[in-house]
Amino acid sequence: MIIIDKLCYYSKLRYQNPYIKTAWAMIALIITVSTRSIALSVLILAAMSYLTVIKGGTNLRRYCHFMAIPFAFLFLSSFAIAVNFSKTPLSVLSLPIGSWYLTASFSGLYLVLQLILTALAAVSCLYFLTLTTPMPDILMVLKKVRCPYLIIEMMMLIYRFIFVLLDIAYQLRISQICRLGNKDKRTSWKALGELMAVLLVRAMKRANEMYDAMESRCYNGVISVLEETGVATKKEIALLAICSLCLTAAALCCAYLGI
Amino acid sequence: MEETIIKAENITFTYEDGTQALKGIDIEIKKGRKIAFLGANGSGKSTFFLCLNGIHQPSNGTLYYRAEPYHYKKDFLLKLRSKVGIVFQDPDRQLFSASVRQEISFGAMNLGLAIEEVKARVDRSIEDLEITAFQEKPTHFLSGGQKKQVAIADILVMDPEVIVLDEPAAALDPKHTTIVNHHIDQMAKKGITVLISTHDVDHAYAWADEVVLFHEGKIIKSGTPKTVFSDEKTLLATNLQKPSALRLFDDLCAKGLFDPSLPPPRNLEELEQYIHDISKRSTAL
Repeated sequence: MIIIDKLCYYSKLRYQNPYIKTAWAMIALIITVSTRSIALSVLILAAMSYLTVIKGGTNLRRYCHFMAIPFAFLFLSSFAIAVNFSKTPLSVLSLPIGSWYLTASFSGLYLVLQLILTALAAVSCLYFLTLTTPMPDILMVLKKVRCPYLIIEMMMLIYRFIFVLLDIAYQLRISQICRLGNKDKRTSWKALGELMAVLLVRAMKRANEMYDAMESRCYNGVISVLEETGVATKKEIALLAICSLCLTAAALCCAYLGI
Repeated sequence: MEETIIKAENITFTYEDGTQALKGIDIEIKKGRKIAFLGANGSGKSTFFLCLNGIHQPSNGTLYYRAEPYHYKKDFLLKLRSKVGIVFQDPDRQLFSASVRQEISFGAMNLGLAIEEVKARVDRSIEDLEITAFQEKPTHFLSGGQKKQVAIADILVMDPEVIVLDEPAAALDPKHTTIVNHHIDQMAKKGITVLISTHDVDHAYAWADEVVLFHEGKIIKSGTPKTVFSDEKTLLATNLQKPSALRLFDDLCAKGLFDPSLPPPRNLEELEQYIHDISKRSTAL
């Protein structure tokens, strides 16, 4: 149904320890965002893409497609940063508009490049996590780092309900189409409104029913379930430590060289 | 003397909107029995089931669990629900977790067992219900039949004394119906009291020790399958057909082909065996 959710279950890295995967993604993310170095961003982008596509077996085309999603936002925001509206022309571009100039500078373009690469590297870190680690594993990690129970339980129920409600919505949509609910624009919009109203009612009903079913299994206010992802092995921890150290060293070099 | 595990005395239940779903139900449920509940949609079976584990509190009348009257305090309800489990008709109504193992562990965790014990029970339920092949899949990838297997494991893991299954075969293909029925038989063999609601008269007749007919919020007939399904007037009132094996047997008895003193066949296989025996006898003559 939601393709991005499906992919992690088929990833070859799915059964790798989720704590290590999360820690690696987070360390890389923090280093990328805090250094904002162009060279380092390229390195991390390459490393994460290698892990996700080559090691994890995610389809390359699909991966590129996912990477392209943030571009729309990046393009708009970088245009705003690179191009200025000023009374004095700058080094790269200057289009006179009346007594003003639409203009851009080299330093501005450099900033944009830095921004785009940092953003892409950061996104690649998150995609690595999303495309190799199923939601229940991520919840387990959150529990380990003492995220409040309320948030974890909400995430768990919401995640499950996304699919329950999508399924209901899909069936309602099909049955509307079968009865020509999309014959023209007006009917389509009306059908969509009705679908949403019914979906809300169904969601409330489902929630009540699920509460009864949980009560039937002695639910007492806290959702307790079995946690059993193995502890990370020494080898995994060592690998994580070495990779993180290398990354930190690279970050320091980049900072020293100023690239 | 069989031990009574749940007793209902004249219970009534009215929904908030004024619908009177139960209009005075009296029943004694004996330990270790296999009981089939039949009746039209909306005849009160599901409401009655929800009364059994204290989700619904009857408007009038009393329920007893092993002679202890139900009271609706938290500790009693938790104890009751750990003993009386319900498998809901629609598994999507029951499954709340995306992980099969976590889903199954929920009930066992709530019993306050040691983690090792919970793990052992989850493993056993997964094996017993043949879930092993798809236990790593998220619940939203499973087929309806597989979800049903998980829904049953959800309850079985709590090791209850009574399991209530609300239309266990609804919306299942023949393969999964067979699987589910097989697991229900296994539960009964272990001594668990099994209550199912169904519309399948043939299955109820072949399987149950006791059949209960619901009609408009009342029990209009209960007893052994043979007595209930021989009462044609009541069957007609509830729009139920006579089980095919019994109907054919009665017809063949009327034609003088069978001896009516024979024990009536419980299913078509037994009837076939009777027919087979006749043809053997006639060839011997």
